[in-house]
Amino acid sequence: MKVVFLDSSKVEGLRNAINNDTEFKLAARFMSEDVLLEVDESRCIVKVQDGVVTEIKLNPPSDAYWSFSIKATAESWDKLLQSSPPPFYTGLNAGMMRGNLQIIGNMEVAFAYFWAMNRMLDMMRELQNK
Amino acid sequence: MARFDRIKGDYVYIEVQNVEYRVYFEEKGSGIPLLCQHSAVTDGQQWRHVLNDGDITSRYRVIVPDLPYHGKSLPPESVEWWKEEYRLTKSFFKDFILEFSHALGLERPVFLGGCMGGCLGLYLALEHPNKFKAVVGLECVLRSEEASLDFWDHPRISNNFKAAATWSLMAPGSPEKYRRETVWKFSQSAPSVMKGDFHYFFKDHNLTGQTQDIDTSRIPIYLLTGEYDAVVSPEDTRRLAEQIKGARFIEMKGLGHLSLCENPEALKRYLMPILKDIAGV
Repeated sequence: MKVVFLDSSKVEGLRNAINNDTEFKLAARFMSEDVLLEVDESRCIVKVQDGVVTEIKLNPPSDAYWSFSIKATAESWDKLLQSSPPPFYTGLNAGMMRGNLQIIGNMEVAFAYFWAMNRMLDMMRELQNK
Repeated sequence: MARFDRIKGDYVYIEVQNVEYRVYFEEKGSGIPLLCQHSAVTDGQQWRHVLNDGDITSRYRVIVPDLPYHGKSLPPESVEWWKEEYRLTKSFFKDFILEFSHALGLERPVFLGGCMGGCLGLYLALEHPNKFKAVVGLECVLRSEEASLDFWDHPRISNNFKAAATWSLMAPGSPEKYRRETVWKFSQSAPSVMKGDFHYFFKDHNLTGQTQDIDTSRIPIYLLTGEYDAVVSPEDTRRLAEQIKGARFIEMKGLGHLSLCENPEALKRYLMPILKDIAGV
């Protein structure tokens, strides 16, 4: 199963869903950062400008700039995106604590916008199971 | 007609390690004293469902303190606490509980604690088995994994991070209204409190080599951990329980790390049989 944020037919729907989420808007209101999402060797960059997701760029070049990365295996993403995820795959912190995902890069920025990332994950989960 | 919880709140002045603290506590019910210790960064609000449960307060006098620097227990007046980093130690935490229990004249209370509070209960059982009737520990572990604590009190990261980090530690099936309330509580404290409390939980707490000295024939030990707990997994607590002869371990299905407030009904299903067992009902 292809994860929603790497599916070219779904990324625009995901971008709209994130931008229409009132909680994301609140949590990301000062955010202007590029976030790399990694599934094994596949990647995309979620570009956020002033709290708005302006683009989800699939297959970015290897030297593309990003602020922090959320990285997990395809097997872990599959569990993270289940509508009712199993223990230790319920979200970012739970996944990090049990080694099921990694956040790499500028941790200060990642933690400053952790709630925004939580909501982004919620939106992904919702669309993944539609 | 207005509704009331009829919970009594008061302050008691106690001296801990030569410093006087004005400590807020709430209580309700009558019978066996049940001393409930909140987890890191929060305060006695976590126990509101236990305080309001008639099945519990009909047999137990439920007593809920706010640890100094938490909730309504302000920092002390007699020391310049603002000149040093807040840091909870095992020694202070233990002495606080003993002094608080003594000040209220509690006779062998049952100690019930969540996470760092639960872990503390095991030191009380180890060193003061004559002062407590039983220990019920939620989310207890032998020793926490070392963790970097710098981001838990950082000028460019708001308390919103604490709420966000707590969110996925709860079970997805717990009611959203209580999960939202829980993260609200976890973002309420002064900025330095979570990091200071984590000093105890992640660095100072270590029962290695001591568990064999806990005598459950003198003080029964009940250990409960939620299925979805990513901080202290059920396996972590099971291993701890196996090291304490006679300790009882229960995995709480459908609960996460914040079991004492994320799903009050689910917790009650596990807690009531234990409280009845202790009361001899």
